[in-house]
Parts: sequence; structure tokens; C-alpha cells
Amino acid sequence: MMRLITNPMINKELRQRLRERRAWLLPTLYLLILSGTVSFAYYMTTDAEMRSQREVQGADIGLAIFFTVVFTQIIALLLMAPVFSAGSITIEKEQRTLTGLLTSLLSVTQIWWGKFVAALLYLLLLLLSALPILALSFAFGGVEPLQLVRATASTVLVLAAICSVGLWCSATFRRSIHSTAACYGIVLVLSVVTAVIFGILMSHWSSRHFMLMRRGDGPPAYVQAPLFLNPLYPLLSMMDDADFREFIYPTSSWLLFAAMGCLAAAFAMRRLKRGSDQL
Amino acid sequence: MIEVEELRKTYRGGRGLHGFSFRLESNELVGLVGPNGAGKTTLIKILATLIPANSGKARVGGHDVSADPRAVRAVAGYLPDIAGIYQDLRVRELLEFFADAFRLKEPKRSAAIQIALELSGLQDRTDEYVEHLSLGWKQRLLLAKTLLHEPKVLLLDEPATGLDPLARISLREQLKRLHSEGVAILISSHILSDLEDMCTRILFIADGKNVSEPGAPALSAGIPETRIQCEIGFQGPSELANQALENIPGARVLERKEGFLLIEIPGGAAEASSLLRAIVNSGMVVEHFDARGPGLEERYRRAFGERLS
Repeated sequence: MMRLITNPMINKELRQRLRERRAWLLPTLYLLILSGTVSFAYYMTTDAEMRSQREVQGADIGLAIFFTVVFTQIIALLLMAPVFSAGSITIEKEQRTLTGLLTSLLSVTQIWWGKFVAALLYLLLLLLSALPILALSFAFGGVEPLQLVRATASTVLVLAAICSVGLWCSATFRRSIHSTAACYGIVLVLSVVTAVIFGILMSHWSSRHFMLMRRGDGPPAYVQAPLFLNPLYPLLSMMDDADFREFIYPTSSWLLFAAMGCLAAAFAMRRLKRGSDQL
Repeated sequence: MIEVEELRKTYRGGRGLHGFSFRLESNELVGLVGPNGAGKTTLIKILATLIPANSGKARVGGHDVSADPRAVRAVAGYLPDIAGIYQDLRVRELLEFFADAFRLKEPKRSAAIQIALELSGLQDRTDEYVEHLSLGWKQRLLLAKTLLHEPKVLLLDEPATGLDPLARISLREQLKRLHSEGVAILISSHILSDLEDMCTRILFIADGKNVSEPGAPALSAGIPETRIQCEIGFQGPSELANQALENIPGARVLERKEGFLLIEIPGGAAEASSLLRAIVNSGMVVEHFDARGPGLEERYRRAFGERLS
């Protein structure tokens, strides 16, 4: 356990990562995007007040900012996670440095862990850098600290799972371009295909259970099941909006993402152990 | 230090190793030669614990490569043919990383890094990025990095690839020094002159199997050359030499010119000495006498000639 914490791979990976130009460019871009969306959310909420002639409470603005930031950041980070994880091992293959690692006393677990922690830490850095923006919602009210903790934890869990999947792709393919494309494919399947399947199941279910729908009952767990693998599901389940109130199974989603991450990690390490023929 | 018995590793298309065997003792610097696709890299990769063999036994430093790969890595240093290096790290950072990767603890860690810097001649360039070093310097750094944990066995796969003559000479000198310090070295290379200069023994490999030289059947077992070539510069009629050669069984004239003879005889230095004595006794005036085993190129041609033609 101690060897995982004092892992020289982490130090090396972070050093290399922070020396890249994109290490400073991406956070800048990321914060600019978040600032833009917050301004947009603020404008839309206050503009709604003028259009509907109804008074908008500070809490409404706070919630709008909070959810806008939370969803924008998970989408942005989902787009970045494959870049940082899926090229992580393939670059060692492309630069022929993996043999040096595999013939050292570093275990495959240490190599994987170093890559994983470095990828995740960089994404956490972005997540942390957005906290001041997220804190704006507290100035307006309407958001509980527990919501912030839950949203951040959900985001971290989803990102960790995606990083793990990215590393599995990276251990499987020889070229970074192929592993990154495969990882984006998986993210696309999780984000879009699960939603489409849910839509199909939902329309089938609602046509059969029209009365239940009218009574305001949401779809049962088996209809929502495909969405458990959707990275946005745990966040949707937090929303107090009428449209999303039926999404009440965040724990299932968390467990599925945790299982996905663990499975991907096991496959990646197995591939690293047996995949020396790729060197 | 290295024991390999009937090692087999088959790739698609039939390439790989098909029952290769050899032993390497701790005081040896052994060259591994053979045509492309002979199985040299596969053998070295198996010994470096990078790929598993299908069957057979391989032990490095007394440890089985498949049963105890970590113990093998602790005693072996491996340098691949085209070794990658972290270009975006500084020289010292690279050495520090590998010192940590080999679990060196202070004060041994600092000492090992210092020695590596001195060995590579990079002690004044510790803060330079690796990408700014020339290929020769990078190769020196790679070798220094490979030696950080003081391996007892070195596995080198074409380490001189792409190096300029000076860098090659430097590499050769380093390997000779390491050999003199007791490091057992197995080196695969196509640069026969380098191997000839530094190796104590040559192993021939083709199609994944041991190849023995015609006339030198036990070469792979470590028995010295069995034939020797003698260059003789002389004054007087060369017919006198014929009489002398009649008394040397198995002697063969390879080349005859005015004042020059190239003779091949079975045996080693003692037999060459007998030949010289016989020639002098025959009345020839010897101006020059040089006895040496056939060059590695010649031995390579003998071993693989049929395959090449």
C-alpha cells in the first residue's frame, strides 16, 4: 500500500504533464468556458424575470448557476478525460519507454496507479480551479453545501471510471490516436446511446402505463437502468426539477461506475502484464 | 549467470526460438550474432522478463525468468535495440526516477546517481533536458541508467545502433570495463568488428537454434578456436615451406604470393609456434609471422554462408 502512495511514477507523470504547454492552456480555456456559461445562466435567469414579470429569488439564481456549472464542468471534463488517460500508456509504447518501466522493479500495479493518479489529479486540478465559480451560487443562496459535496463526489467518481477506461484502451492499443478514439467511443456510448435506449424504453413503458404517468409516477428502475451508466445520471438525480424527479437511483449509478472503473483497471493491468509483445 | 535450456517461443509465421540453449558464466562477455529474424531479440526479451517463453528453461543470476521475474530484474540490466528515453525530463530527474524505480534507498541512491553521472560523463549537464542531448550522449545516459542498480548481468540488444564511430568506441570501452569489473554481458549486434574486439566468446544463432561453425563444432560450448591462420612474410623460395608443412598435419595453404604465405592449421598458439619452428628449420628467412584465428566475419560467413547464398 505504501508503495502505491510513494510511487515514483506519480512524480514523473505529474512532472511531465505539467511541462506540456496544454497544462496551462487547458485550465485557462476551461475557466473561460465556465465563466461564460455562468454569465449565460445568470442572464437567462434574470431575463426570465423580466419576460414573465415574476420575481426571481436569489435562490433561483444560485441554483441555476450551480447546476449550470456542475453540468458544464462534467461535460468538459468528460471530453478531456480521454485525452489525459487514453494516451498515457500508448505514449510509452510509441516512445519505446515502456520496456524501461517493465524491466524495472516497478510492478504493473504501480505503473497503472501512477498513470491513473496523474490523469485524475490533473482533472481534479481543473475541478478545484472551478470551485470559486461554483461558490458564486452560495452568494445567491439556494444551494446546500451537501449538494456541492455530492455533485463533486459524483463527478470525481465518474471521471475516475472514465480515466480507468481510458487507461485500459491505452494498454490495449499500440497508438495513442486509436486508444483515444476508442475511449471517446466509449464515452459517447455511455452518454448518448444510454440516453437513446432509455428514451426507447421510456416511450414503450409510457404507452403501456399511461395512467401511472398521469398520476405523476416515474418509470421503474428497469426502465431507468440504461441511464445508470450515463455519466450525467448521478447529477440529474440531484435536481429538484419536475422533469428529473423520477431519477432516484444515484447509488446504483455510482456502484456501476465504480465497478466499471475496477474492471477496466483489472483488464488494463492484465494487458500490461501480458502485452509486452506490443513493445 | 545465464542458463538457457531448449528455449522455445513461437510467433505467427514460425519465427522465434526453436530449442536454443547456452550458458554464460560470470566472467564472460558473449556476443550473439545471426541474421535478421534469427531470434536474438526474442531471446534477450525472454531473459529480460519482457515476454514469456513457450517452453524450456531460462535462468538469470540463478533466478527463473518465468517463476521469479522480479528477482531477475533486480540482478539484470536490459538495454533494447531502439531504447526510448524521456525527452522531457532533465538528466538528473531521469536518473532519480529510475533510481526510485529500482528502489534504491539513501545514501545508496545518491551515490548511484553520482556514479551514473560520472560514467556517462554528464555530471556537468545534470539540468539539461534529455531532448537536447545528442544520440551518443543519450546512449551513454541509457547505459548509465541501466547500471544504476548495479546489475550482475547485462542484456544488450544492438546497443550500438545509430551511434557514430566515437560513440561506438566509447560504448565498447565501457562494456570492456564492466566486463573487467565482473559483470556478465550478453550482447547482440551486427557490428562484427566491435564484437570481435571485446567479446570473449561468440554465439551463433539462426532460425531460433544454435548454429555451430564448420570446423568448430563446440564453439557454443565455450571451447576455443580449433583452427588458426598464419601470415608469413619471408625471403627465399617458397618451396621450402612445402617441406615444413608436410610435418604439420592438417595444414592448408590458403594464399601463396611471392614472399608471402597464408596458412591455416588446426589448433591454437602452440601449433602456430610449431609451424614457425618448422619453417625456420626448413631454412626460410622469416621476416614476418602473424598467427590469429579466423576473423569473426570469416566465421560468420562459414556459419551462415549457405543461408546467405
